[in-house]
Amino acid sequence: MIMAPGLRKFVLAAHLTFSIGWIGAVVAYLALGVSSVTSQDALTVRGAWVAMELTGWYVIVPLALAALLTGLVISMGTKWGLFRHYWILISLALTILATVVLLLHMPTVSLMADAAREADGADLGGLGGDLLHPGVGLLVLLVITALNVYKPRGMTRYGWRKQHEERTVSQP
Amino acid sequence: MADLPPYPGTPRWVKVFGIIAIGLVLLVVILLLTGGPGRHMGPGGGGGPTPSSSVTEHRL
Repeated sequence: MIMAPGLRKFVLAAHLTFSIGWIGAVVAYLALGVSSVTSQDALTVRGAWVAMELTGWYVIVPLALAALLTGLVISMGTKWGLFRHYWILISLALTILATVVLLLHMPTVSLMADAAREADGADLGGLGGDLLHPGVGLLVLLVITALNVYKPRGMTRYGWRKQHEERTVSQP
Repeated sequence: MADLPPYPGTPRWVKVFGIIAIGLVLLVVILLLTGGPGRHMGPGGGGGPTPSSSVTEHRL
């Protein structure tokens, strides 16, 4: 079903907001992760882990789910479709992958934040950091952004067939 | 109804993307099998960022 222009713009604006917000939140998370690794100050390390947990659960996870949901709506509600173009299919796969890894990783972040809350200052150095997940996650989100901006050519077999069917119907 | 024109094939950039993706998946699998970063079991689970034993003792 194709959305009305007004609704399409609203959903597109929401999708852009959630997606770019997701990237910004991961950058903030990464900064906290760097400070948890590099800082010698116990309060900073403890605060960084607590902030990483809060940012993860209350900002990154909701933004990821909202970006995924609005992405599905905008693609299915426009002529682009969900399975017609390779760039959309790959963007969808990468978004699902990033969201699943995020949801699997966040319980570990919560455990680390709990440990940071209760640890003595000298023990906080043993916590280490969390740079791999947000680093790779940010890279994946930037790839998705590039795909969405450049929209490289290439239709799937399904998209090729559907396009031909629609042309045949519109030009009998 | 007109015949379906021949499918032009999968674009080169998709093939390159797929090869890179397969390489990265293999890398992650190797890291998981060798006990490197990437597990999601938390403290005591044997993978991922894990607090030191002195840290976890405070939680008991």
